[in-house]
Amino acid sequence: MARPADPHAMQPSRPGRTRTAPPQVPDDFWTRPRMRTYLLFDATGIVYLLVGLVALRVAWALRDGKAAWDALLASFAHPAYLAFHGLALVCALFVGVRFFRLFPKAQPAHIGPAKPPPRPVLHAMLYAAWIGITLVLLAILGGVWPK
Amino acid sequence: MRALLLRLEPIIWLLFGAGILVGTLLLPGYLLTVALGAPLHLLPDGALSFERAHMLGSSLVGRVVLLALIALPLWKGAHHTRALAVDTLGHHSDGLVGSLLYAVAAIGSVLGIVAILSI
Repeated sequence: MARPADPHAMQPSRPGRTRTAPPQVPDDFWTRPRMRTYLLFDATGIVYLLVGLVALRVAWALRDGKAAWDALLASFAHPAYLAFHGLALVCALFVGVRFFRLFPKAQPAHIGPAKPPPRPVLHAMLYAAWIGITLVLLAILGGVWPK
Repeated sequence: MRALLLRLEPIIWLLFGAGILVGTLLLPGYLLTVALGAPLHLLPDGALSFERAHMLGSSLVGRVVLLALIALPLWKGAHHTRALAVDTLGHHSDGLVGSLLYAVAAIGSVLGIVAILSI
């Protein structure tokens, strides 16, 4: 059965001249390809939430000393943790690719007197920042620099 | 509860947007090293020894990056999980679900600040 959609989210800014029935969500909404991708994008939120909590554990281990840090790294070798972090990496790549594609389209035409750069340039800048930050983190956390 | 969430929407959206952008920029580097590289022994010896990790994590930049890695994914995660709950379960439980998720993000962020200040 179809169910009522969120009236707040779908409310027009001013009432129209013609009375309309309240919006309804079709029962098979999740089978539509665009909706499925959108739901998948939303579902990455569960993984991000857990990644944030695990990162909190990393900070507490650093605070608690060498034994806690070594125990943390040993626990990360558990297959469940490895699978979760592999999934988190896939989610981060999916979110990045989708969000960076949408980001240039969501920019205002003007920010005061300034205009944002053309969309392809903005898109390229986001990817350059993403790759650059990833390489810097790989170098620092991978022990390349500083020695 | 929904009225309060609507009033807090600008702050929540700011943290959510920062979570998508900054969180996503930082996550691959963090996941490939701390979460996957170190446990799979793909990193050089000593790269993430306690002494080196502590030196990196206790620097000013290290603390800021670590806090961003904790707090921003929590807010992105809370907001997107709330949206997923609305889309799949309907909006009748949104006040409760949204409040719980943002409470987790807020408490996690505070604990993150406490942790990085005491490293």
